[in-house]
Order: sequence, then structure tokens, then C-alpha cells
Amino acid sequence: MHTASGLIIEGAGKTFRAGGRDPRVALEGVSLQLPPGQVGVLLGPSGCGKSTLLRMVAGLEEPTAGALSLNGRPVTGPGRDRGMVFQSYTSFPWLTVRQNVAYGLKITGDHSSLREGAVEHFIQAVRLQDVADAYPHELSGGMRQRVAIARTLANHPELLLMDEPFGALDPETRWQMQELLLGIVRKERTTVLLVSHDIEEALYLGDVVFFLSSHPGRLREVIRPDFKKDVPAGDREALLDHPEYRRLDMHIRRLMSEEGSTQGQPA
Amino acid sequence: MTVSLRDSITNGEAPARPQAPALKRRWLDFGQQLDWRRRLLLGLTGWLLFVFGWYLAAHAGLASERLFPGPVAVMNALVDLFMEQGFLGDVVSSIRRILISFSLAVAIALPLGLLMGAFARIDGLLNPLLGAFRYLPAPAFIPLLLMWLGTGDSQKIALLLIGVVFFLAIMLADVTRQVPASFIETAKTLGGGRRVVLWTVVFRHSLPGYMDTCRQMLAVSWTYLVIAEIVAATDGIGAMMMRAKRFVHVDDIMAGIVTIGLLGLAFDALFRLVYRWRFPYLRGAHQR
Repeated sequence: MHTASGLIIEGAGKTFRAGGRDPRVALEGVSLQLPPGQVGVLLGPSGCGKSTLLRMVAGLEEPTAGALSLNGRPVTGPGRDRGMVFQSYTSFPWLTVRQNVAYGLKITGDHSSLREGAVEHFIQAVRLQDVADAYPHELSGGMRQRVAIARTLANHPELLLMDEPFGALDPETRWQMQELLLGIVRKERTTVLLVSHDIEEALYLGDVVFFLSSHPGRLREVIRPDFKKDVPAGDREALLDHPEYRRLDMHIRRLMSEEGSTQGQPA
Repeated sequence: MTVSLRDSITNGEAPARPQAPALKRRWLDFGQQLDWRRRLLLGLTGWLLFVFGWYLAAHAGLASERLFPGPVAVMNALVDLFMEQGFLGDVVSSIRRILISFSLAVAIALPLGLLMGAFARIDGLLNPLLGAFRYLPAPAFIPLLLMWLGTGDSQKIALLLIGVVFFLAIMLADVTRQVPASFIETAKTLGGGRRVVLWTVVFRHSLPGYMDTCRQMLAVSWTYLVIAEIVAATDGIGAMMMRAKRFVHVDDIMAGIVTIGLLGLAFDALFRLVYRWRFPYLRGAHQR
């Protein structure tokens, strides 16, 4: 460990002990690093503990082993430096879009960001300026998720955490949201850790993909889709057509199906 | 359209143009949406049916009119009470007791409900206690309260408070518990501390539910009011009714009941109005 920048996870583990029952190991010995400015994707079959790992980074779940740190500071609880976007719609129904986006800055007393127009900036970045005074129930699912993203980014987190943020959206909207997210993240140089079970999403968004195996969750492979340098940024068709994309896609599918077959066997 | 169809049937001919089959409409069906006009019409119909049934029952000769007066007699009694017998003072006394006791109940129950709903440890400490007190019938405290507080207003307000506060605290805690965990976690990862999350998310999310619960518990308050005023009181709607009983003025008693009903309706409407005005984001939210 030379420079302590970015996200560093060392030997993280989580064992759930429900009273009387056998302890269930959800995660075991996960170590990984995510340098600043990169998009990391936690990919894996259901039950691999990827959401648990993300919640540990957010400080919402306590690891039973190992240590986590962001830019040199150990994670001891939730904080403004690690904003999280959930799969369920979490824009507050009693606040308008604009008030939702301003919420984080208001509660942390960040008046300078409020003055400098961070709220309007991110409302425009997620293209919600036309509905800025609407309440969330008047918006579609994709728009509500954009509110959540703008709200989190306006708060200037050092790390943006996303738990299957587009999982509840229809495919068309999901693509649009992925493109929108990638555009914003490149522009703002945000570090992102995103949970996904979708291979295309992982390869499209990720600078680095962490593949987790299940039962218990372990880091099985780190995949770097470096070939994306050759593809025009954000060009999905060119990406999907790239031979290296197809190779990685097939490789991950194999990993997935191996997980599936071991899952079926009795432990 | 229906006319032409009927004509063609009576003529024994097939209809000239095939009609699109209309969906079968039923007067009662699940998930019907009514506009305010229909709602008002139905509400008035219910009332008219009730008054008409009352009228019929009163004039059918089943009981003497003295013991079971009809709606007209009761309305006359009501007007007479207000114009001649200073009933307004009784009504004001009753409303004052309700408002004071209910404000006290909310002031006690709301912090308890909020903290119980938000924090499991506080719930664990207080829920078994309040849950037990809830089952004690408030009128059972009347002898105690009469000894401690006398026959004045404080005794009545205390009874109303006891009757409502335990239920209210537990119901408000239930409302508080419905805050989605993801809302709380979102606020935490945006940098909100415990106090900030409690006020800006937990309390704020629960506010409409609190209003609704209070609206319902206010109705219970009126029940205890009459009990309190019947026991020992010189003024108030219940006291008037007890006075009327002594002189077998059944029309006055019924006028008192009608007054309480109308006041309840008015308070309910007031709550609904405030609800619509304060929580615009809930309007039409469930219609989507």
C-alpha cells in the first residue's frame, strides 16, 4: 500500500449470525482497489454479496472482517463523501425536483455550493430543467432515478455508489440512463462503484469489472475492458461489435454459468 | 345509440350498422373513481334516506312523540336551544375541552410516537408500558380523577387525555415505522446525522400519516367528552343533555347528539382541508 488514494478494500468479509442457526458467510476475503476517477462495477450472480459489499463501502453495513478506506480515511459509517443511489426510487415525495437535488447541500450546510449553482448545474446535467418544480410522483421511473443521481452528485461525493440503479427501468430507458451517467461521470471525473448483474451494463460502464463468485461471495476475477480505448467514447454499437467485447462477454457468461451450476449442488 | 338499437329490435330487424360492444357497466364495481359531484349526491342521498327513515319511524306511532321525536321536532329544539337557552356557551365549553385535551395528547404522544417508531430501543422500553395502559378503560379513572382534581375542567381534560394519549402514541409510532429504510439510508449517505435524518426524513415522511391518525383519534375524544360531561358538569353539550333528561326533553337530548355529529363532521372537514393544502404532493399520487 503505497499511495492511499481511491477506494481500498482489504480482506473484507461478512458473516451473518442469525440467532441459533448456522452462521451464513455472505462475503469472504474480498480485496480490491479502485483508483480515483474510475468506474468500477461489481458483477456477479445473485447471492454473491455484491450489494452487501457496496453497503459496506457506504458504511451502512459493518464488515465482520477486513478493512475499507477511501482516500486514506477508514470507513467507519455513512458519510457525505460516499453518496449512494439505490435501485428503489428514493427521491423524497414531499420535495420538488429542485428541492430534492438541493437536499444534501442544505442538510450539510454547504452554502457555497448552493450559491455557486450546483443544484441548477446538476439538474441540467440530468436534463430535468423542464420539470424542476414538479413533485416526484409526476415523473417517470427514469426521471426519478435521474433526480437521485443529480441529488447525489450535487453533494460532491468522492465516490458515487450505485446499487443496480437502472434495474427497475425498461431496456430503452436503461440504455439512455447508462449513456447519461457515463457522460456526466467522464465530465465530472467522478469515481463510481456500481453493482450490476447485467454483463452489457458492466462492460459498457466499467473501467474495471470485479466479478464475484457466490456462496460465499469471493472476488473471482478482475476484468479490465481496456479495448474500449479504441472505441469512440459512448458508441454502444461499435462497442458491442468489437471482437474483444464479444470475447469478454462470452468469458463472463461462462463464469456466470459455472456459478449457476455450483449453486445447484448441495453444499 | 340505444334508441336506434331498441327501434330495430321492435321492428324485428337487425341493426343497420354493427355496434362496437360496450363494456358491461355495473353500478357497483371495484376500483371506481367518483367525481366530487357524484360523491356529494351520494352523500346527500344517504342523509336524506336516514332522515326520512327517522321521520317514518317517529310518526309510525310505535312510541310517543315525547319519547321519540321526529327530525322536525329535534330541529326546532336545536334552534330553540341556541336562540333561547344559551346553548352556544355549552358548545364552546365542549369544544374548548376537546381542543385543550387533544393538544395536550398530541404534545405528549407525538414525541413518544416519533422516537418509538424511529428507535427500536425506545420502542422496546415504552411499547409494553403504553400498550398495557391502552387497555385500561379511561372511565375507570373517573373516581380517582374526581378525588384528585375535583369536578372542574381539569378533571374532564385529564379524562379526555387518558382516553386518547396511549392509543395516539402507539398509532403514531406505527405511522413512523412506515418510513422506507432506503429513504433513511439515502439521507445518511448524503451526510445527514441522526438529528437531521429524524426531522427531515422520518418526521417529514410521517407528517401526513400523523394528520390522518389525529383526525381519527379526535373522534374518540368526542366520545370521552360526553362521558366526562355526563358525570359531573354544569356546562357543555353532555351536561345539557343530562339536564334535559331530568325533564324528559328527549328532543333536546337528540339535538345534543345532532350537534356533536355536526361538530365532528366540521372538524373532519377541517382536517381534510388542511391535509389537501399542506400535502399537495399526495394529490393524485395514488391514481398513477
